[in-house]
Amino acid sequence: MHPRRGRSAIVGIGEVPTGRFPERTAIEGALQAAQQAIADAGLRRSDIDYVMPTGTLFSFQFGNELATARLVEELGLPHVSSNCQVFSGGSSSTNALRVASALVETGRARCVLFVHTDKLGTGVTAQGGIDLFSTAGISAEWEVPFGQHYSTVAALATTRYQHETGCTDEELSAVCVSNRKWAELNPHAFFRTPLTIAEVMQSKMLSTPLRAKQSNMLFDGAGAFVVTAAERARDLVQRPAYVLGEGGAVTHFVYSQEPDLTRFGWAAAAREAFAEAGLAPADIDVAEIYDSYPIYQLIAFEELGLCGRGEAGGLFLRGETWPGGRIPCTTDGGMLSKGHIGAGGSVSLLIEAARQLMGKAGARQVPGARFAVETATGGTYFDAQVTILGTEIP
Amino acid sequence: MSSPPAAPPRPRPVVNAWSRPFWDAAREQKLLLQRCGDCRAWIFYPRIACPRCGSDQLGWQPASGRGTIYSFTVVRSNAPSAFAPLLPYVVAVIRLEEGVQMLSNVVDCNPDKLRCDQPVEVVFRPLDDEFTLPCFRPQAGSGSQS
Repeated sequence: MHPRRGRSAIVGIGEVPTGRFPERTAIEGALQAAQQAIADAGLRRSDIDYVMPTGTLFSFQFGNELATARLVEELGLPHVSSNCQVFSGGSSSTNALRVASALVETGRARCVLFVHTDKLGTGVTAQGGIDLFSTAGISAEWEVPFGQHYSTVAALATTRYQHETGCTDEELSAVCVSNRKWAELNPHAFFRTPLTIAEVMQSKMLSTPLRAKQSNMLFDGAGAFVVTAAERARDLVQRPAYVLGEGGAVTHFVYSQEPDLTRFGWAAAAREAFAEAGLAPADIDVAEIYDSYPIYQLIAFEELGLCGRGEAGGLFLRGETWPGGRIPCTTDGGMLSKGHIGAGGSVSLLIEAARQLMGKAGARQVPGARFAVETATGGTYFDAQVTILGTEIP
Repeated sequence: MSSPPAAPPRPRPVVNAWSRPFWDAAREQKLLLQRCGDCRAWIFYPRIACPRCGSDQLGWQPASGRGTIYSFTVVRSNAPSAFAPLLPYVVAVIRLEEGVQMLSNVVDCNPDKLRCDQPVEVVFRPLDDEFTLPCFRPQAGSGSQS
């Protein structure tokens, strides 16, 4: 058995609704989510000994005032020995979980509180969001001068993927419809009205072939989770979400240096994660796949081995990823329907993966979910991070 | 009614000292690439050491200026503010004959007729007095000249 398999677990989760909340400051969102996560784990405030927020893309105050210690003080945590920020853009959640797991497995920490917060919905205008994301993670020397931004980043992958696989615009749009089906069931999601493929395909063209309703929208949001060692987790909660396997690959910084825009590093990351977990893709009950644009959900689905190359679009079109489907995917609605909250995009997915395994997903609960896979990536998809969680240790 | 705010100036490259020869050559309408003196790898973008073998024996050589479109997109709306006046414009990943990739704009073309793997050649577009961007246009006979 792999020495790291199942040695740590997520035992508590917290989250505030995603949307436009001008009155809710970044720190308020963080504090609410953190309180929920501590209570959800059945912990006392004195049990938390390590606090680990992400960085923020827009809420500069949260980063500049070094909110790591502010969280400790505002929450009244009396026994925190250390605090640090873990930040890798959209993959911050997975990378933080990896750091937190290492801390609790080695005894360096007992209970790590991870928190994300940002205000991309009301802290920045729509055009300001486009401008922010025409520099965040994009090379100032080699790409910004050519008008690269996140729509073109996604469109470049989509064009090449469609060229190589024959994936249709209808299949891409089906990803948005699938995620919306789940968002309809999620009270924390921003977009909850039904969506059709025709509506997606008729929405405004941004950067060919990418359309407006195939793009995420930016919102305010916050989330938190608590990580502890597996032996402690069993005493705390009925159904911990054990960390069974983690894998990753960093494949570029400058987007145009990516060797394969139709694959990225997912296959290698998934092999590592599945091997550590002792599981195969067929064992997965629920897939929480990073979905800032539909192309990335399709590529990750295939590269993780959940289906063959060029087959993912068909799965989404046929409803196999919808509620009640064979392989439920991105069950909180994802960034395409719940809303993109910056570095918290994958925080939401990781929390949702744990929520499904803990049996706390309410109307969108996947019955009997035992094993979940979550993916995360930062910047212009510069890394591929794969986490496998489970209610039991194989 | 107030008129919409003027677009900010186009962003200039934020240049590292070791890539200055690339930009100086581009201003003279030449495409230079780094090449490793030890393993002979062509290198783009410019580095302080060869990303393949780690050698710091790097020199500069003229590139052919020819390549193919690995992928592309036609920006129709929602561009960064500085690029709004340029709509529509084409962003593409170009694979040069030397085996390296770079982001650029495809110009002098009918954007609706571009395709993946289409042959292109370098053409230089001044940004200001200091910077000229290496852009690309379809090679003659490749089917999408304007």
